[in-house]
Amino acid sequence: MHLEPTDQVAGPSQVTPIVELRSVSKWYGNVIGLNNLTIRVPAGVTGLLGPNGAGKSTLLQLATGQLRPSQGVVRVLGHAPWNNSALNRYLGLCPEQDAFYEWMTGWEFVHTCARLSGLPMADARDATARALEQVRMTDNMGRAIRGYSKGMRQRTKVAQALVHDPLVLFLDEPLSGTDPVARRELMDIIIALGAQGKTVIMSSHVLHEVQGVTANIILLNRGRLVAEGNIQQIRDLIDQHPHRIVLRASDPRALAAKLVRCDDVVGLELGRKDGSILAETHAPDTFYARLAPISLEDGTAIEEVYSDDDNLEAVFKYLVNP
Amino acid sequence: MMKMTLDPELPPPIPARPMPLSRRGAGAAVWTLFLLSVKQQIRAQRMFIVVLLCALPVAFAILARVYNTEFFQADDVEIALVFYFIPHAIVPLTALLYATGMVQDEIEEQTLTYLLTRPLPKWSIYVCKLLATMLVTGLLVGLFTIVTYVAIYAGSDDFWVKIFPVRALKTTALVSLALVTYTSLFGCLSLFVRRALVVGVAYIVILEGVIAFIPFLVQEFTVMYHFRVLSERWLDLRPSDWSIDLDTAPDAQTCVLRLVVTSLVVTAIAAFAFTWREFRVKTPEGA
Repeated sequence: MHLEPTDQVAGPSQVTPIVELRSVSKWYGNVIGLNNLTIRVPAGVTGLLGPNGAGKSTLLQLATGQLRPSQGVVRVLGHAPWNNSALNRYLGLCPEQDAFYEWMTGWEFVHTCARLSGLPMADARDATARALEQVRMTDNMGRAIRGYSKGMRQRTKVAQALVHDPLVLFLDEPLSGTDPVARRELMDIIIALGAQGKTVIMSSHVLHEVQGVTANIILLNRGRLVAEGNIQQIRDLIDQHPHRIVLRASDPRALAAKLVRCDDVVGLELGRKDGSILAETHAPDTFYARLAPISLEDGTAIEEVYSDDDNLEAVFKYLVNP
Repeated sequence: MMKMTLDPELPPPIPARPMPLSRRGAGAAVWTLFLLSVKQQIRAQRMFIVVLLCALPVAFAILARVYNTEFFQADDVEIALVFYFIPHAIVPLTALLYATGMVQDEIEEQTLTYLLTRPLPKWSIYVCKLLATMLVTGLLVGLFTIVTYVAIYAGSDDFWVKIFPVRALKTTALVSLALVTYTSLFGCLSLFVRRALVVGVAYIVILEGVIAFIPFLVQEFTVMYHFRVLSERWLDLRPSDWSIDLDTAPDAQTCVLRLVVTSLVVTAIAAFAFTWREFRVKTPEGA
């Protein structure tokens, strides 16, 4: 089973791109990170989708000027990002790694990032307050980051990327490890940013996450472009396979008891080594929508949700080897 | 590759011309980075080690005065602690510990990304970190040098006549100059050598510890040689084993100039290397 290429050349290639890679390759010694990649990303929200090791982070690091392309041309807002510090004023990056100046409070961290972006003191204060409010971190902004939960850390990372009001925002797995409520709120923020005319590139290995914020996707696998365009065709493929979702909760058994009653749940695995639950569903949208209310119920607070990407791997196999 | 249809509702396209870029606010960004780097260096775990190291000569001076009252010679203790122990051990080791960690810490803790994606020229990131390191280590070692003087001379007749403020401040300035040069050297070393700490210790022992004592042309390539020449010229020290002939040794101005120029040159090399080096962040996915 495979996707039929359409006669109509996709839209992203027709509009002036905000981010453009032309025949870009990046290799680390003998390891290829990106392989002759050509993409054009227009304004709005674009999902960068691919399994682990697909080259998503390499692409984002190239676009934010952290890496130099081994071959080819990278352009962001018409400029080459490598060693172009002036361009960074217009870019925001939420990195994948869970790294902070742990001794700072959330406010200090975001404020420092605002100042590092060149905002004057008063503007930086206002921008910090606004960014933290935007990610719903105002109540916890006075606490040291080392005491934050995973969800709070993700929100703070997003806040530092937003604080200087960038035109182009790169979000590397921003929803990874967040609870359902934080996930929904972050997705709403991303959608709102796109509606404001910002360019947002969000990487993820979870199709459902990307679909929640945009229909435009770029699909990578092993450093190569597999597909770009509308997400629906891929969803049709993936929905034919059970979607595997891992959940961590305060009381896994209570949560499992609630999930097992759902019609769309076709499999549940308890007693995994890390205490998590693996749920298989044919209706991921319904499943995810159900999580937030369940998490708010007594005894079944969900601490972490992430998608096992096995089924995505399967789709990649279809696409690469039709 | 397959292309699929795109959602028809796209945001409006942007102009094809590259957007003009503003460099406004770069000064504020650099100043913030400097302050951030100072805070990081003060909070670094190595601060504890360096404070202990710097407290050693103070402790030795106090012990010498308490337990060796009859034979205590302040001048000898000053030479041993202020002109041997501090410049030979404390200054280079402090510089090594701090300078090799100033960039490496950011890489290991993966926070360098937050700096590389800001409107800060990459060379300025290195220079800011270096200056912050020099400030913190300079204050630390300078303070403990003065405290060591106090521990040696406090209560003696020489204290206000011979030592304070001129001699103590001159010595502190000398120590700081050596520290600045070492910090520049080791900062640069850390960008080129994987095991900078090991190589740095070898450099301190072999070049600054042994070769600096040998009256041969090579000794003029050591920081310690210039520190000693300056000590002899400015403070009238005459230790017999320094093997320095003041008639042939460079004058004080030349010594200072050589140390300053060395610092500037290695800093420029390091800043250039930092600018063109890729700092690849290992992501959890390892892409």
